[in-house]
Amino acid sequence: MSNINETKIGKIISVSNLSVQVLLDRSEVSMRSCMCAYLNGKRVSFEVAGVNGGIAQAIPLSSVNGLKKGMDVFALPRGIEIEYSDNILGKVFNSYGELIDGGVIENPVTRNVYEKNLALSEIDIDGDVLWTGIKALDFFAPMQKGFKMGMLGGAGVGKTVLIKELINNVYRGWGSNSVFAGIGERSREGKELYDEMMEAGLMDKLAVVFGQMGESSMARSRAAYAGLTLAEFLRDERRQDVLLFIDNIYRFVQANSEISAEIGNMPIESGYSTTLLSDVSEVEERVNSTGQGSITSFQAVFIPADDITDMAVNTIMSHLDGQIVLSRKVAEKGIYPAVDVFSTTSKLLTIEGVGERHFRLAEKSVATLARYQELEEVVAVLGVDELSEEDMNIFYRARKLRNYFSQPFFVSEQFTGIEGQFVKIEDVLDDVEAILTGKYDSVDESHFLFVGKVPEVKQTAIF
Amino acid sequence: MSDRIGELINSRIDAIKAGQSIYSVGKVTRVANYILEVAGLEDVFYFERVYIGNKGEGYVSHIGRSSVTVELVKRAASIYVGDEVTSSGKMFSAMASPDFVGHIVDIFGEDKLTGNKFRELAEIPAVSPNVPIMDRRTVKKPLYTGLCGIDLLYPIGKGQRQLIIGDKKTGKTQIGLDAIANQRGQGVICIYVALGKSKKTVKGVYNELLARGAMSYTVIMAAFQEDCAPMLYITPQVALSLALAYMQQKRDVLVIMDDLTQHANTYREISLLAGKAPGRDAYPPDIFYTHASMLELGCQHKNGGSITILPIVETRGGDITDYIATNIISITDGQIVTSSKSFEKGQKPAINFGLSVSRLGGQVQIPAMKALGTSIKRELLSYLETKEIFELANIDEMSAEMRDKLTRGKEMLERMKQYRFDPMTPDGMAERFGKFAEAPETPAPAESVK
Repeated sequence: MSNINETKIGKIISVSNLSVQVLLDRSEVSMRSCMCAYLNGKRVSFEVAGVNGGIAQAIPLSSVNGLKKGMDVFALPRGIEIEYSDNILGKVFNSYGELIDGGVIENPVTRNVYEKNLALSEIDIDGDVLWTGIKALDFFAPMQKGFKMGMLGGAGVGKTVLIKELINNVYRGWGSNSVFAGIGERSREGKELYDEMMEAGLMDKLAVVFGQMGESSMARSRAAYAGLTLAEFLRDERRQDVLLFIDNIYRFVQANSEISAEIGNMPIESGYSTTLLSDVSEVEERVNSTGQGSITSFQAVFIPADDITDMAVNTIMSHLDGQIVLSRKVAEKGIYPAVDVFSTTSKLLTIEGVGERHFRLAEKSVATLARYQELEEVVAVLGVDELSEEDMNIFYRARKLRNYFSQPFFVSEQFTGIEGQFVKIEDVLDDVEAILTGKYDSVDESHFLFVGKVPEVKQTAIF
Repeated sequence: MSDRIGELINSRIDAIKAGQSIYSVGKVTRVANYILEVAGLEDVFYFERVYIGNKGEGYVSHIGRSSVTVELVKRAASIYVGDEVTSSGKMFSAMASPDFVGHIVDIFGEDKLTGNKFRELAEIPAVSPNVPIMDRRTVKKPLYTGLCGIDLLYPIGKGQRQLIIGDKKTGKTQIGLDAIANQRGQGVICIYVALGKSKKTVKGVYNELLARGAMSYTVIMAAFQEDCAPMLYITPQVALSLALAYMQQKRDVLVIMDDLTQHANTYREISLLAGKAPGRDAYPPDIFYTHASMLELGCQHKNGGSITILPIVETRGGDITDYIATNIISITDGQIVTSSKSFEKGQKPAINFGLSVSRLGGQVQIPAMKALGTSIKRELLSYLETKEIFELANIDEMSAEMRDKLTRGKEMLERMKQYRFDPMTPDGMAERFGKFAEAPETPAPAESVK
């Protein structure tokens, strides 16, 4: 049944949902090497997570249904490997580096998915500004080549749509290759993304890895490593500026906490895995740029129970160069992208990074919107008429500003029925300045909702 | 003669001895409600079906070094330490029959109304593997619920997973039942999964559907509160296996899961009793995966069949941001939020238009519905937001534009009202909302006056 050159190294002595214990004949197994058993001729693999005396603790890569005590276990010392070559573009992989689209990779090089670390001297942190054409992003959280930008949001506030719009706006015009890692998200969305890219003829620069939410914990966890390995190949061997889209990095942490609990490690707060910090840093530290090539990444981060103080979310945040926070309160008002401007930031938003005008306008906008929030409460109780003239100006201008940062997306034409818009940063700066200085005071606020740059409008009075 | 009897006796004794081999027979050593620890049973495999005499049956949920854990799915009589446990050599599976349609059934293939087993039963897997990602197709065919608030604004497509979420008594189940009733003559098979509902409630659902001729294409699969928790835990998975079997025959299936909050709480109970480490809110760490692996079976298959799932989640105090709710929101393709405030004000179905979402939107609508729906949705949301802010403003002092917006919005909301089991066709909706098709002040770029 087993391959002739696989050596038997032990027997199964215990099985549960996400863990298999193996009594070893000898103790020559290393962490993260693999082992396997054969069930009716089908191989079931596990990865070694620990060895205690003569007993190895292993995590199954797929379902354990059917495994029993006493089954022979064989060694697969090379661990999880991925095959790659120039052929990876246009292909779809699963978390363990196997092609799932029926394709083949010719003359592949194989590499273990874990072995990669950059030295401090190799890391390059300079890069050009990268405009996304999305008003709220470019204005409040400008992006730079080589950055790690997080898109944080609770359930159903539009993270995936934003990622898709970024793929549309940035990837299309991008000269080099990209990797999309679908981790623990909907299979439907993954497949639709693939279909759309195929239809649009855009798959030729993209390699895709899927470890989606219907798959085992191990598959979801390892999808991150497979995606990274492909991105590193493009960066280091093809010397490219790679775009890496990860949707969703939180699911990686979540999968790890499922595994951790099942193999009996003590959980930390909210049941996260004991090794939360090192898990996240192991992955995030590989998303870096060198002198030869760069990895620019957009990462969606799920916020469980809308709790932005969540331990896992904060751990991921500490690795990011910028973050776009999507809020349910904004989404409820029908404004998409539902960007919460108060917690959306980027390391690049400095006078040195984007210039004085942009920086000052961003500051002023945030201040205006902050005052609006206070005024909203006053208005709800006393009505608009009770405001001073200055506050009334702020109140109406802030509402226009808020509406202005909504945007019709190319990828969500089916929701809005409006054609998508790519907006240049110069236009955004002009428009914001005009709104803040009162040039549009006589224009109704509805004219700012779901537009690109402010269109020429009829000057109508509202009150 | 006596030789022959002696032989018979000896062979029986041998059989009994063989039967008592520690490999296929074990003894209960610990009973913790429906979780048993069994010594012996050395040869069982993970998720194998085992019997505790004729007192009950269950599946192997853990194989330890010196004992095996069994979770009971069915318990006919009290089980004591020392009871004999025998293995079956087979994976735990469920029973299904094509005759299920029209009946209230359980996972063992029993007709719950008569207590009889169905005649033509076949085994189906209790837990089905995921549908491969490359076998899926774009969700784009509409599945009409007959409710304006859904079909126009937050449409559901075949293969979509749309959550119905809200407080108790806000009409969540009714939305599901309306959707089932509206499938009459559409060739869709419906499965209503009742989890931990009272018998009275399930009978009520049955009668309602029967009265509307909906039982002729519907299966009600039930696990009651009195059943063992593992039965409640596994029932929705079996219902999906059944749906999968229909989908493989290229059928469209609609599954209503009422409700997953109950399922999550049951799974938490089992997990804690089994001594597993608790995670957030004491739920097991793999609660997300448990729900995701089920709901991911909902899809449009490349063979033409589909599984549409409408899971129901109950909230407390209208909070849709708790752990289980956000988990399921993040799995599904959108949510219909029901609100007690709207319900009390007589706005039924009590859909909260601001919080409801469809991630597929117009992709699953026919062009006419999409055009009408998007323009109404935009205007309605804008009305609701404006109303909130200008609640206290004097309507007479407003600009004509604003006044018009408020009156139109109000009328629109009024026309969203529908009584239970009073479905509308797409044409009917187009008629009812036709006057709103052209918004007077669309926020789209207006013409220039320069």
